[in-house]
Amino acid sequence: MRILLVEDEIRLAENVAQALRDGPGFAVDHAEDGQTGLSLAENLCYDLIILDLMLPKLDGQTVLRRLRERGDGTAVLILTARSERSSIIQLLNCGADDYLSKPFDLGEVIARAKALIRRGKGMASPALRLGDLELHTGDQSVFRAGNSIVLSPMEYRILEYLMHRPRSIVSKRELLEHMYDFNWAHHSNVIEAHISNLRRKLGEGTNPPTIENLRNRGYRLVLESTNSREPGSEPA
Amino acid sequence: MKTYSLTRRLIIAVLLVELCSLLALIGIASVYEGISHFRALDVTLRGRADSLLGAVQDSEDPEDNVMLYGVEGLAPRRDIYIVRDDRGRVIGSQGWPDGEQELASSDTREFRNLTIGGIRYRVIRKPGLRIVDPGDAKGGVARHVTILYGSRTHPVWERVRNAIAFYTLSGLLLLAVTGVVLLHLLRRGLQPLYELAEQAGGISVNSWNLGPSSQARYVRELEPLVSAIESALLRLEQSFAQQKQFVSDAAHELKTSVAVVKSSLQLLTMRTRSAKEYEEGLERVKVDSERMEELVAKMLTLARLEDGGEQPESYRTVKLGDVLNDVAEHFQTMAHFHRIKLVVNSDISALVLCDPDQLRLLCSNLIHNAIQHSKASTEVRAMITVQGDEVQLRVEDDGEGISEDILPHVFDRFYRGDPSRSRRTGGTGLGLAISKAIVLRYHGAIRLESQPGHGTSAIVTLPLVRSTTKRLEHGSARNSQKKIATS
Repeated sequence: MRILLVEDEIRLAENVAQALRDGPGFAVDHAEDGQTGLSLAENLCYDLIILDLMLPKLDGQTVLRRLRERGDGTAVLILTARSERSSIIQLLNCGADDYLSKPFDLGEVIARAKALIRRGKGMASPALRLGDLELHTGDQSVFRAGNSIVLSPMEYRILEYLMHRPRSIVSKRELLEHMYDFNWAHHSNVIEAHISNLRRKLGEGTNPPTIENLRNRGYRLVLESTNSREPGSEPA
Repeated sequence: MKTYSLTRRLIIAVLLVELCSLLALIGIASVYEGISHFRALDVTLRGRADSLLGAVQDSEDPEDNVMLYGVEGLAPRRDIYIVRDDRGRVIGSQGWPDGEQELASSDTREFRNLTIGGIRYRVIRKPGLRIVDPGDAKGGVARHVTILYGSRTHPVWERVRNAIAFYTLSGLLLLAVTGVVLLHLLRRGLQPLYELAEQAGGISVNSWNLGPSSQARYVRELEPLVSAIESALLRLEQSFAQQKQFVSDAAHELKTSVAVVKSSLQLLTMRTRSAKEYEEGLERVKVDSERMEELVAKMLTLARLEDGGEQPESYRTVKLGDVLNDVAEHFQTMAHFHRIKLVVNSDISALVLCDPDQLRLLCSNLIHNAIQHSKASTEVRAMITVQGDEVQLRVEDDGEGISEDILPHVFDRFYRGDPSRSRRTGGTGLGLAISKAIVLRYHGAIRLESQPGHGTSAIVTLPLVRSTTKRLEHGSARNSQKKIATS
């Protein structure tokens, strides 16, 4: 999961970004002003935007309005030092999904970020299930038929992303965009290596779900590899 | 002071004036009444005396004496009279036993006031002529008689008194009616005032207007009051809005600062870390809380500068050049670190009267700003010039300058020309606001001149002190120990 953090107070941004990276292992990009934030958001590679209100160049509310005007449906969590009801109501009516007033609790930021991402993907429960595969986003644990599977952080994040979108094709590019922030060099073979490791670890069980490799199109998490194969697609 | 009612005062004043005129009127009327009644009495007396003269009859006695008879019913019982002929014989009298003495007196005025037997009379003295036997060949005998006729004055006074009583009563009645009518009229007339008071009572933080339909606006006497109230309200509203803005900004800054410290601490406790990580984290928290401390200190400084009255007891005559040199000394290290040359030209001896600590703060704020906005291997120049009875402090840098649309706002509290940049340099956005507050306190002026791309000059003018008598060295231990808050 990748998050865009738009906050002009650098120390605060550093802390929030660090917490999001350390905790749920999100990729975090940081923009110091509204304009930069808005142009970064154009990439549409974010699962959540955390937006401060008092921003130089372009204030948070304008950023939010422009985002929604151009049809960007990314979940937005507002950070505000204002706690007046009217401003909160206005923000939510402008298209914000949630808000937190400063000084906030980092744990709460993480929890809300997770909840917003979950909701954005159409999931309600923090535990994702597919066949006998179980993924708990709370403690980042993965079980296959009741047996715990140990995954590296990046493997876990790829699996979590795929679990959010079962049975649909996720391109390598999309995975790259959502797994890494701008500070990382994008090497597609990194993803391939992680996928193959992940497939191996998941394959330790008896049955699918497993990850299909659709050449030139991406990856797909399928429940039964034999039944749900798309016509024209090649097996991995 | 005791409270009093305008209405009551006005009514009392009007009634007093009315009472005075009433008294004057009664006085004049009484005099007139008295005079006219006594005139009437005199006429009556004359008439009575004439009738009496008419009753003096020719007599049939040998000496052709005049006689008086047939006077029954002629003179009222209470009147007195005495009639004497020219031979000194009293021919008739009524109720006047010792009237002869009066007749004999040399007083020959027609009317006199006499007191007879304790009763006051008005007396007419009437000489009369009676021709006895006018049909005679000799043409009759002329007989002179003198009549003294008196009438009691008591009834006249009684009538005058009655008239006065009548006037007084009707006057008092009039006064009472006037009072009531006035009260009513004043109450109605003062209605706009009551309305204004009611509307003024409705003013609160949430509604800063008098009602738009204020009747008082159309009253010429109240109009200045209404406009005074309205302009005062406008000023209050503005300064209230400013305060509100300040509080809101301050709250935002403080909350952000607290959020930084809190999140730094929480980040540390999110998972177990090595001792080195904790140490580094705590160091960061320390820096964060120092920034918060600085912010609070500056906000307090600004609040003290803007709200507190003048404290002349802390004022000293200070040599501006010395203070500037001192402050520049402090900043040499920082300037050196940023590879900026700090040039100070403070040769001119200029004395200013002020709190030395505040002057230091001003100088250090300006120099700190200049250094922060300068690129490496450029110059920051601070110089003092004297112009007339003013001293000018100029701090110039060769930095990136300030664009024109930002320049008017640089003295606003919490304003940051380029917010993200000044945040990175740790600015609070209060330095220039504090500088301005200091300069204004000493009746000086401060302005920024900037050429984008070429640099900025901060120009401070302060009133100059000519005398050197009260001069004190500023570089006391107290001052040099004081921590200088800078922007």
